[in-house]
Amino acid sequence: MLSWKEVNLNGPVSNTLSEYLVEAEGLAKRFGDFVALQPLDVKVQAGEFFGVFGPNGAGKSTFIRLLTGQLRPSAGTAKVLGINVDSKPRLVKANIGIVPESESPPSYLTAAEFLEFVARLRNIDEINEKVNYWLDWFGMTDKSGTLCKDLSKGQRQKVMLASAFIHEPRLLFLDEPFVNLDPIYQRKCRELLLEHISNGGTIFLCSHILEIAERLCTRVAVIDHGRVLAAGKMNDLRNSKSETLEDIFIRLVGKSIDEIEAESITEEE
Amino acid sequence: MGAKRDEPNFGLSFPITFKMMFKEEWRQNVDFAKSRRILMFPALLAIVSMALTIGLRFLTGDGVSGANAEEISRETFTFDQLRTGIHLMVFLFSMGMGTFAFLGRSIVSQRSGGKNFLLASPAMQPIDLQTTYLAYYLKEVSFYIVLILFPVTIGMALGIASQSFLEITTPLLWTSLLPFLVCISLTMAQGIAISFFGSTLMSRGNQWNFLVPILGAFIGAIIYVGFIPMEKAIIGLWAHSNESINALIWTPLAFLSCAILAWISAGLLPEDFEVRITGRDDLFIPIYEKLGKIGLRSDSRMRILIAKEIVDVLRSGTLLKMLGSFAVPLLFLLLLAWGADFASFPIPFNLLSYAPFIGFFGFNFYSWLNAIDAPDHLNTMPVSVPELLKAKIWTYFLLTSWIGVIFILLMAGMLDQWNDALSAMIVMLANSIYIVSLSAWLMGLRPNKAIFDSGIMARFWVATAFPLIGLFVLSFTKGDTTLLENWGMQVSAGGLNAEAQAIELENRQSTSLTGILGICAILVSLSFLYLRLLKRKWGSAPFEN
Repeated sequence: MLSWKEVNLNGPVSNTLSEYLVEAEGLAKRFGDFVALQPLDVKVQAGEFFGVFGPNGAGKSTFIRLLTGQLRPSAGTAKVLGINVDSKPRLVKANIGIVPESESPPSYLTAAEFLEFVARLRNIDEINEKVNYWLDWFGMTDKSGTLCKDLSKGQRQKVMLASAFIHEPRLLFLDEPFVNLDPIYQRKCRELLLEHISNGGTIFLCSHILEIAERLCTRVAVIDHGRVLAAGKMNDLRNSKSETLEDIFIRLVGKSIDEIEAESITEEE
Repeated sequence: MGAKRDEPNFGLSFPITFKMMFKEEWRQNVDFAKSRRILMFPALLAIVSMALTIGLRFLTGDGVSGANAEEISRETFTFDQLRTGIHLMVFLFSMGMGTFAFLGRSIVSQRSGGKNFLLASPAMQPIDLQTTYLAYYLKEVSFYIVLILFPVTIGMALGIASQSFLEITTPLLWTSLLPFLVCISLTMAQGIAISFFGSTLMSRGNQWNFLVPILGAFIGAIIYVGFIPMEKAIIGLWAHSNESINALIWTPLAFLSCAILAWISAGLLPEDFEVRITGRDDLFIPIYEKLGKIGLRSDSRMRILIAKEIVDVLRSGTLLKMLGSFAVPLLFLLLLAWGADFASFPIPFNLLSYAPFIGFFGFNFYSWLNAIDAPDHLNTMPVSVPELLKAKIWTYFLLTSWIGVIFILLMAGMLDQWNDALSAMIVMLANSIYIVSLSAWLMGLRPNKAIFDSGIMARFWVATAFPLIGLFVLSFTKGDTTLLENWGMQVSAGGLNAEAQAIELENRQSTSLTGILGICAILVSLSFLYLRLLKRKWGSAPFEN
């Protein structure tokens, strides 16, 4: 297994890409005594669809929250779109789209009002047209006047996705974006994200749904217990041609758990 | 795609945040009660205000006959006293409404649940905490002005207008209305700003948790005893007392300084809301075990629910907030008892008159208990809302009743009224039981949303005003009912045309506490009735706050 010291996420990428939109050096996070993310380096170039995968509690959401200025790092630095995240988190947020793992839109605003709020805050043109466009795109025109608290989980997720897309950012940070979406909208969103990439956009995705990685990501990293177990293009991670990402994931994460158990037994002895 | 965007400036982010927060507040209230009942609340206030305006001549002595000027002066209020009373009431109310630094932290920490609010938007959107909280502050001030102070002023205007068709007179003038509205709004803005400042400092933790309550109580006490005149401490009162143009032209500057204090407070808020993820020792089982010692059976669902509530209170840090908000008024009262010469006070405060006051805190704590955690997860469990309500009442008593008892003992020592200590404890506990049971029955799991529901608040007023005023008055007089008898005689003789009449005070000071203890017995009985009625009212309600 590769330890975090031996790997960074700056794996080989296409030669046609040159600009780094996400750069982190020694980025780490502790919550009190708990190490959520061990120091890691990452560089994501323009046009990449970068995926971070790992089991529940692996540190994926912490990673994305550090890169989007929602958390302050305990160590290391991060730059997004060339902007230092720690010193200018608002400027970063103004230029990216974020879909969080479980956060809902404000309960007592309607779907349309929340999108209007986001659009005005981000000072975009043609607000009404764009709000209506995204509500229509997500099939929620008839729900535009419904309070967000009265929407289903899937509908709330659609509102959050729309709020991340409405200002057409170049870089999207998506944390489990497909959870709660029905298969039709999962496919629609997948197609939209691929179109975003083909138009020169960049995506940083966290998920534990491995099927998505295989279909979408140009480069992936597998993390567990706050450390990187492996990173690179799909083909680089495979031991054999027939090995799926799920096989890779179980091989890496399973081994990691075995090692940790062995370590804890050794410590107890 | 990908146009470079700047951070939104204040001029862009503030108006939209303020506008949406106002909508959010309105929707929250309408969600709890129908909009008709929300709109009834200001209507009710206007009616009460109109009635007070019409009756103002009795309070100020203009309608009193049969007594000499000296007696009238002694038995009635001056305009200054009334004005101070109104401003003080609004100031204290707004102090209770301004603790949203606490609220913000709990909202942000719970934003991954089913509910989310605009206060949490800095996490995802390019807006800073300071602008968001300033918008929240101004939303609070303007919402209360629209829903409370406007209707009160309209009621006063109706009272003045009624002179033309009701054959009555009121000493209030049309020209007083605008200064009243401006000055009372200023008092509210100041109270909310100061409270926000205090809660911000407390939310920074460490020594502030203790310094803020002590400092708050100390400042309150020195103002109350007159070391700093109240007119100088409450700027709305100062402007109102000097109803000259010179004073009024300063009010915009005073409003601005309140907003600046709120802005500074917002800037002092901890920048992020990280949760310390640390291993915790098991708290639930030890508390669950201890609850067995107070007689709760091991198979009792109540025991499980109470244990969960206590864990919530301890782990969320709410106990500290509860103690802090308890400590400020109690320390204030203690300092008063220590530093003030009660014999010279127009109202004869004593240990028994403090006791119902302490009991009234029950409503605040019941509100805190309902703000800690969203109860929605219980919808899938074999428990009902009334069971959870009862668990919250139990929790309240287990965690806070000892504070009241200690306070009564301290006050008894300071006032040297040990003979009344036991009675005062009975009054305090009876009031606590009554207020909390009443709140649970009327408001269920959403007491914070109930204050603008006219139907609920009317019932709450009626159910609390009569017994508490009765207890208060009886405690001043320790059983001397002369005042009440006089009022009753005048009303029964004259009906609506009754005139206040000064009476010859006979020396009928009674030491009997029968009346007080009798009211307490009735309150306790009513409390049990409310608890029995919980099932009927909330038995099929969903877990939602």
